[in-house]
Amino acid sequence: MLNVALAKGRLAERCADIFIRCGIRAEVLREETRKLVLETPDGKFRFFFVKPADVPTYVEYGIADIGIVGKDTLLEAGADLYEMLDLGFERCKLCIAGFAGRAPSRPLRVATKYTETAKRLFASRGEDAEIIKLNGSIELAPLTGLADVIFDIVQSGGTLRANGLSVLEEVFDISARLIANKVSLKTKAAEILPLIAAMKQYIEE
Amino acid sequence: MQYFKLPAGVRDVLPDECERFDAAERVLRERFRGAGFLPVRPAGLEYYDTYADAGVEEAQMFKMCDRDGRLIVLRPDMTLACARIAATKLHGEGARLCYFSAVYDFTASGNCDREVPQAGVEVFGEQGARSDAEIIAFAVGCLRALGLRDFIVDIGHVGFYKGLLEGSGLSVEGAEEVRARINAKDAVGCELALRRHGAGERAQAAILALPSLFGGAEVLGRAKTLTDNPQALASLAHLEEVYAHLCDLGVGGHVSFDLGTVKSLAYYTGIVFTGLADGVGAPVLSGGRYDGLCARFGRDLAAVGFAVGMDRALSAARAKEGTC
Repeated sequence: MLNVALAKGRLAERCADIFIRCGIRAEVLREETRKLVLETPDGKFRFFFVKPADVPTYVEYGIADIGIVGKDTLLEAGADLYEMLDLGFERCKLCIAGFAGRAPSRPLRVATKYTETAKRLFASRGEDAEIIKLNGSIELAPLTGLADVIFDIVQSGGTLRANGLSVLEEVFDISARLIANKVSLKTKAAEILPLIAAMKQYIEE
Repeated sequence: MQYFKLPAGVRDVLPDECERFDAAERVLRERFRGAGFLPVRPAGLEYYDTYADAGVEEAQMFKMCDRDGRLIVLRPDMTLACARIAATKLHGEGARLCYFSAVYDFTASGNCDREVPQAGVEVFGEQGARSDAEIIAFAVGCLRALGLRDFIVDIGHVGFYKGLLEGSGLSVEGAEEVRARINAKDAVGCELALRRHGAGERAQAAILALPSLFGGAEVLGRAKTLTDNPQALASLAHLEEVYAHLCDLGVGGHVSFDLGTVKSLAYYTGIVFTGLADGVGAPVLSGGRYDGLCARFGRDLAAVGFAVGMDRALSAARAKEGTC
């Protein structure tokens, strides 16, 4: 049996579609339920529903053999695992955003949920930056003077525009990725590889 | 002070578990002795430079200042310690050493401990495909003796990747970034890094295939069509020879190949391998050939070896008992 970690919410619905198209009896994923563990009727797959940031953890420990999660979460987690496939959906960009044309303070103050990624990014550029950890409504930080810029995912840019902010730099392309545990990929190759091949074919169509 | 506390990443082993641990060590001691390995207990503290110069990451080491102001570390790696001993303190043509000791990893977190008890063997002064196959077959025997059943030893060769890098035009940093992406089998990231660092077209195509070059022995044939670099081709021929010997030795069914295993430890020069078992999410065994390492300590000796991670091997054996 293959154990699959999925992020709760919108991503899980897209995953259900793909799995069904790839011939997996994943209809269970569409049921309204509060259960955290679901099995396909043929007993071949078991799905775990976890918070997005916990998907890499379940896969790194090998509790889940594979998982689906956004590249932004992977960058932040820095987990030791295989990134097998770019699934191409849930596309967005990790951006630096702020007030266009305004001179930043020194050191630059950056508000973000992605503190590890931000630290690595600014360190790799030799820029001094003070990274401020926030858990939501990141756009509020430059408006209130808590930070000069934000480092966050941008999909449509609607929230930024509504608050007079704009994208200053697009740093990373983000999309959903299929990840695999480094041991499971080899010890359960007969189950995982055909699934990856089917998903790859589906994406390319 | 709350005296029950321990620093993160270490633990006490209490009598119940300690007995299992000791029993497993006895099994391996017997095997090691039977194969002619002599035990050593390398020093626990060493000079920082010994390890840093050989490629152990600075951040990975527990560092202290000695009385004379020199930087010393809590031993981060057993293979290097054994190579130092074989090259500087033993004077034979070769040596077979084994050890039961812990190594320390400052940065380890999550699925890895900072104090890692290992049992390992190192063979000095033997080279060639037969020697490689024998050490892998011996590793298979050790895992079996510990009670593991559903496991494979996954084999790669650093020469293949090094060969592909030759003439790719990649800088040292470029190569390091690409290596990290290959190790994660991240084809997308690998492609971006290759383009950003300006690798040549043919090299790009071959390096991009690396993340998918794993599986049975047929992988070696597939890899041959990707390159005409002599070092890369020689590595594949060597792996084929090793595989033939492994089949001779009756362990062909326990091995697989992964040419995209590009270990970060810089001292490996030939085959590299990891033991992978059902029930634990990380390798239970790790090893490879490191022919250039002893020369660094003043004597040129061919060398190959492996270490079993005792905690993980025992939990794999235990997971096995649980399901039976």
